[in-house]
Amino acid sequence: MEKQDSNGKFIVPIGPQHPALKEPGHFEFAVEGEIVTGAAVRLGYVHRGIEKGAEARNWTQNIYLLERVCGICSHIHATAYTLGVEKLANVVAPPRAQAIRTLVAELERIHSHLLWLGVAAHEGGFDTLFMFSWRDRETVMDLLEMITGNRVHYSTNILGGVKIDLDDEKITAIRKGLDFLEERTHHYLKVINTDETFLGRTRDVGTMSRQQAEELGAVGPTARASGVPRDLRVEAPYAGYHEFPVRLITATEGDLHARFVVRMNECLDCYRVIREILDRLPGGELATRVPRRIPEGETISRVEAPRGELVYFIKSTGGDKPDRIKVRTPSLCNWGTVTSVAVGHKLADMPMLLAGIDPCFSCNDRMVRVNRPDQSQTWSWENLRQYGIEYYR
Amino acid sequence: MNEVKLENPWQQALDRVRSWARINSPWAIHFNSGSCNGCDIEILATLTPRYDVERFGIKLQGSPRHADVLICTGPVTLQARDRLVRIYNQMPEPKFVIAVGSCGLSGGAFQGCYNVVGSIADVIPVDVYVPGCPPRPEAIIYGVVQLLKSLKGETPDPQANAAGAG
Amino acid sequence: MDTEAALQTVEQLLKEYATEVKQPEQNRLDFSISVENLLEAIKTLKANQWGYLSFITGLDHPAPLTAEGEAPTEGNLEVLYHFAQGAAVATLRISLPYSKAEVPSVCGLIPSASLYERELMEMFGVNVVGTPDPRRLLLPDDWPEGVYPLRKSYQMVGGAAEPPVET
Repeated sequence: MEKQDSNGKFIVPIGPQHPALKEPGHFEFAVEGEIVTGAAVRLGYVHRGIEKGAEARNWTQNIYLLERVCGICSHIHATAYTLGVEKLANVVAPPRAQAIRTLVAELERIHSHLLWLGVAAHEGGFDTLFMFSWRDRETVMDLLEMITGNRVHYSTNILGGVKIDLDDEKITAIRKGLDFLEERTHHYLKVINTDETFLGRTRDVGTMSRQQAEELGAVGPTARASGVPRDLRVEAPYAGYHEFPVRLITATEGDLHARFVVRMNECLDCYRVIREILDRLPGGELATRVPRRIPEGETISRVEAPRGELVYFIKSTGGDKPDRIKVRTPSLCNWGTVTSVAVGHKLADMPMLLAGIDPCFSCNDRMVRVNRPDQSQTWSWENLRQYGIEYYR
Repeated sequence: MNEVKLENPWQQALDRVRSWARINSPWAIHFNSGSCNGCDIEILATLTPRYDVERFGIKLQGSPRHADVLICTGPVTLQARDRLVRIYNQMPEPKFVIAVGSCGLSGGAFQGCYNVVGSIADVIPVDVYVPGCPPRPEAIIYGVVQLLKSLKGETPDPQANAAGAG
Repeated sequence: MDTEAALQTVEQLLKEYATEVKQPEQNRLDFSISVENLLEAIKTLKANQWGYLSFITGLDHPAPLTAEGEAPTEGNLEVLYHFAQGAAVATLRISLPYSKAEVPSVCGLIPSASLYERELMEMFGVNVVGTPDPRRLLLPDDWPEGVYPLRKSYQMVGGAAEPPVET
């Protein structure tokens, strides 16, 4: 924060606090006039020590804890963990459980992408889209609540299966919800592809070539928008994705606009996959028994979260508690892309650029400090956002 | 709160006007001191068309200097503790704090983790607690309403917890 | 490239550096590698475009309790570099004694490793030599130096930071 440059450059720290973000980043942008010349990141404001905490809890309690790594993609965290533990225990969850896991994961992806669409639009000063997409997001929240009983932490997974079931009534409701969402998603695609003001903020902004994306280790929609064909649901299918394959959706442009298009197209594919699951929902048991003590071993469980590749490394020493759990969240990879891609862009583009990787940015109070050897000025995130909007007006 | 008791009748009237205005349109600031996001997206959801708290005059503000109500989520992490206190100090008097979510109330699932100080009440005084992991948007609005009721001098609903937990 | 073929390729590539190769799971290969060979091995992977660095894990193996009269053994740390190609995962496993917990930075080859290395440094106290940005990433600013929360010797007491029990 005290960083000062002898050349009289501005160092603009952004962050540290960002409320709707699981890994609130504190960014520092060095600027020369209007152009960003360097960027660095500092995380840890919401670091709680979950990995250590997980070592003190038993295998079942950890589902509850790890679901709370992130409130937006809670289900996928629990899925990665349970799949890993099941692998260690040499247990395979029954097909119906796997299908339901996949179904909830895809619904969660829709909720996450719609949430992101709204937040990203808000950062660009397009509040109408924010309100619309969040209104429609309530549809998928209702579906998730109906299926699982909760709006945010679904608690669907247990070791060895799931604890919720679907019946005809629910299936009909899901289909109805999907029809509505599909229609709306087509509408949003039209908006992001045709609205002039929106295109002005997104096209050719933050362009990342395929080579860059691969080098910087981008994951998820951020990488796919640059043409990297990397989607674990396709490459290394888990849970129900063997049965119900998804399409790999990529774009070649690599700019912010492409990231919007990829995410919206992914939503469309989600609807297709969910319908397929509902059509061919396997029957049978919901869960199998998993021993209380998990056999010794190490495993890696990789899943595709809404934001990209999520990896769990789980080590057991044969006890009723894990020896080590390592969580590598997708946003961590994508921070690196922001700090590199930001260079050469205008300061006014930063809010959109940060929102583009979907670290779930939303309207809140992040402090922005403009430091200079002789003066120091604090901006809130809101100021920076406003600055960006005014700049393009 | 540290409000000075004013004897002058017209000052008292002015005070009533201020309090009326405050109750009619409380401005809130939202701060996450280590939450998992769950409560935060629900707080955001209260702003959006389905719940739309702005129809009650409640507005989410970007700056603590403009806010009457601090809506806090999450357990307090070591790194965020100072920020939370700083934001609280920046708010003008009188100020009120609403703690949202189980971990804001007690540390919740993160109790005992090495980077967690504890609940929000361990760091700053809290006026309203909204339980739930995360609480529904209705519950959050209900919590705000309870706060406003107590500002009017009414006793909060004794059923607050039962109904607010959603 | 299917998983089998990918694993065969990586085995060919890394055989000469590894002291031991294990296959813990069908889609994984585990290469034990000495610190000196780490950069060479990663260079080989990179030259042949095999996979990408998925993440880095640290593991702590404290010294086992020794019976009286026996010479105490030293605990060690392990650093695992996981490379992924499709479903195949190749792990480079490096074992380090507490007294010389040092690895060279791989950021010269893989720039995105910076964040993982910063995490490794503060969580396990592994000294990553030559990492471009050695500042703290996750722990609070006032966290005491030399306290590494993910080492087993660090005991969680209550909520706040407590110094580890020295062994």
